[in-house]
Amino acid sequence: MAENAQTQGPQTTGHVWDETLQEFNNPLPNWWIWGFYATIVFAITYWLIYPSWPIGKSFLPGVFGKIEYTNSEGQTETWHWNTRAKLLKETEEAAALQKPYFDKLASLPYDKISKDPELSSFVVSAGKPLFADNCAACHQSGGGGKIGSYPNLTDDNWIYGGTYDKIQETITKGRHGYMPPFAEALDPAQIEELANYVLSLSGEKADPAKAALGNQLFHSHTAACFYCHGNDAKGRQDIGSANLTDKVWLWANVPGASDQAGKVAEVEKVITGGLNRGVMPTWEGRLKPEQIKLLTVYVHELGGGK
Amino acid sequence: MAASNPAAGEQYDYEIIKKFTVMAIVWAVVGMFVGVYIASELAWPFLNFDIPYITFGRFRPVHTGAVIFGFGGSALFATSYYVVQRTCQARLWGGGLIPFTFWGWQAVIVLAALSYVNGYSQGREYAEMEWPIDILVEIVWVSYMAVFIGTLMKRKQPHIYVANWFYLSFLLATALLHTFNNLAVPVGLFSMKSYSLFAGAQDAMTQWWYGHNAVGFFLTAAFLGMMYYFVPKHAGRPVYSYRLSIVHFWALSFMYMWVGTHHLHWTALPDWASTLGATFSIMLLLPSWGGMINGIMTLSGAWDKLRTDYVMRFMIVALSFYGMSTFEGPLMSLKDVNALSHYTDWTVGHVHSGALGWVAMISFGSLYHMMPRLWNTKLYSDKLVGVHFWLATIGVLLYITAMWISGISQGLMWRAFDDFGNLQYSFVESVAAMHPFYAMRAIGGMFFLSGMCVMAFNAYMTIRQGVREANLVGQTAGAAA
Repeated sequence: MAENAQTQGPQTTGHVWDETLQEFNNPLPNWWIWGFYATIVFAITYWLIYPSWPIGKSFLPGVFGKIEYTNSEGQTETWHWNTRAKLLKETEEAAALQKPYFDKLASLPYDKISKDPELSSFVVSAGKPLFADNCAACHQSGGGGKIGSYPNLTDDNWIYGGTYDKIQETITKGRHGYMPPFAEALDPAQIEELANYVLSLSGEKADPAKAALGNQLFHSHTAACFYCHGNDAKGRQDIGSANLTDKVWLWANVPGASDQAGKVAEVEKVITGGLNRGVMPTWEGRLKPEQIKLLTVYVHELGGGK
Repeated sequence: MAASNPAAGEQYDYEIIKKFTVMAIVWAVVGMFVGVYIASELAWPFLNFDIPYITFGRFRPVHTGAVIFGFGGSALFATSYYVVQRTCQARLWGGGLIPFTFWGWQAVIVLAALSYVNGYSQGREYAEMEWPIDILVEIVWVSYMAVFIGTLMKRKQPHIYVANWFYLSFLLATALLHTFNNLAVPVGLFSMKSYSLFAGAQDAMTQWWYGHNAVGFFLTAAFLGMMYYFVPKHAGRPVYSYRLSIVHFWALSFMYMWVGTHHLHWTALPDWASTLGATFSIMLLLPSWGGMINGIMTLSGAWDKLRTDYVMRFMIVALSFYGMSTFEGPLMSLKDVNALSHYTDWTVGHVHSGALGWVAMISFGSLYHMMPRLWNTKLYSDKLVGVHFWLATIGVLLYITAMWISGISQGLMWRAFDDFGNLQYSFVESVAAMHPFYAMRAIGGMFFLSGMCVMAFNAYMTIRQGVREANLVGQTAGAAA
């Protein structure tokens, strides 16, 4: 092997390791050398274009051209190319594109906004990512909500009111739903009667005798359900008490229960333990007023607002 | 062929190499299994089962630790001990230090994995180990350097073979990187928690100086060392160019040290530092390719063997993936390309084309070459090497194709604006769009893992066969006496 290499092919260096390992003394391939030089030329050019080598407390700023943008105080700033200035500049450009629409949105009353086709498309376009980034974590993509946790925004059931003003109030200030627990005030039999009554209200199957007793309890001062849910059990939007006569379930997962006993148990759970979970945070300060207004229109359209 | 030097087993310390070889295979199976599992969690999140210990955040460092340090590390210990002894014609130096490097290193991998699943992490990528484990790594590493350098000093050859230069640079650089990246102040003597000595952008820069040089010296230089021995040895051909090996060695070592900041484009890092990272990455392209050229040109006289020899196929495919990812890397380090690729799956795909395509494949080739010689027998099945080769190749291709598509889609979706100047997509929409590619990636991983299991079986049978033959020889010798 070694002799072959020396007589026919290129020369080896003459060293042999581990019996057979040798090295040819081939020169560097030309394309490799020129390719390497080319990358060096590329690098030097890159250094001249972008900020590069540090010199003392400064550095070569690059000849890429200046970036001009308006800072938060409204003054114009000019910088050599740098990523921070580029970000501020591009943010400013995107905001400038959006500005006429946001201005129009801010100046028009709610009922005019949805009648303006161009503004409506803007609301859908800007509302989608705003909703996805701020609302969808709870209300889910598309606003379908989750039984037992977060209200569905796509139905026409509005716990705190579905007018523009009420939706804006909800987003701005947040909400805190509360129902006291009845575990101590009522005995299990009474809770079961109430649960049957509540099921019967929305047309679910229920034990008629128990439901009748539940009806009495509901309107009595012992259970006092009607204080919040009203005599007609249709709830009060000013305090966010649920309408018990529709088929919309938020806390008790009645549609998810597999049998009658499960449905009763779901309602019983809410009556027994009460609710202290319906917390929606305030978005005031986190979103700008015009963004809240835009989301108000977006959410209003989602669920066929009032 | 295995019996080219029957006395090799006595002349050299093969026991330690055998141990590391077995553990390289064990950690590969474990680490790749965890990798497939976390890839599946991303595609099918129910696999979290609400168990905190197995969630992506804790399992991810278990995966990277087991494959890089467990599999890659053990393969490097094994091959470097093999190569340094054979090319220096000297038995390993170090006495008790030698087994200590084995048990110490295995302890590091196990302790690190246990600490991750229990929630301990420094939060530094590829250096998640908390300070007590870092200290153990330091001690093991210094012992490893002592054994390797001690053996080099005993060499009977006047010249140091090129593979050993690469191993040396890996040993030295890893020691520096590990030490400086892990400078931290523990909260207390009996607390696992510590805080980095650096702050802010400097901390990030130190981390990525470490992170990219871990790629450069641990996953590149060291495996080039492996390549420089096993490729010419297996092909029976001299290395293509001695001069190229010198020039690209020094160019590679010099350039790599600068490039870490390309991980921090478009962040709080000063632009000048990120520019330097980008340009040194570009200048690193040809020095990296030097290794590929030397490897492929060495094989070029032995193309006919490719048809029959799957071990050689592993090597040539490894070199091809090495060339591909060392081209892709500089490209991604340019500011404008990075603006698209940063934070996307493209990065994940790039890492895996290097890790699976290059690091794992060259290790497979080297381990298959070494095993019959260590146990003085033949490989149990050459056919199974072929099965492994195809499973691994299909696995890598599925994996990186999935990540290219998902990465570039992510990048484009995140930066898409509509005519109103609004973002066209929400983040969650980009997550939903990734699902089919996450499933495809998980399937690619499953291919790679099943290939690995085939290798483990083949290795087990080869070792069993070697041990039986040795016993038989022992009995005959005993009977003769």
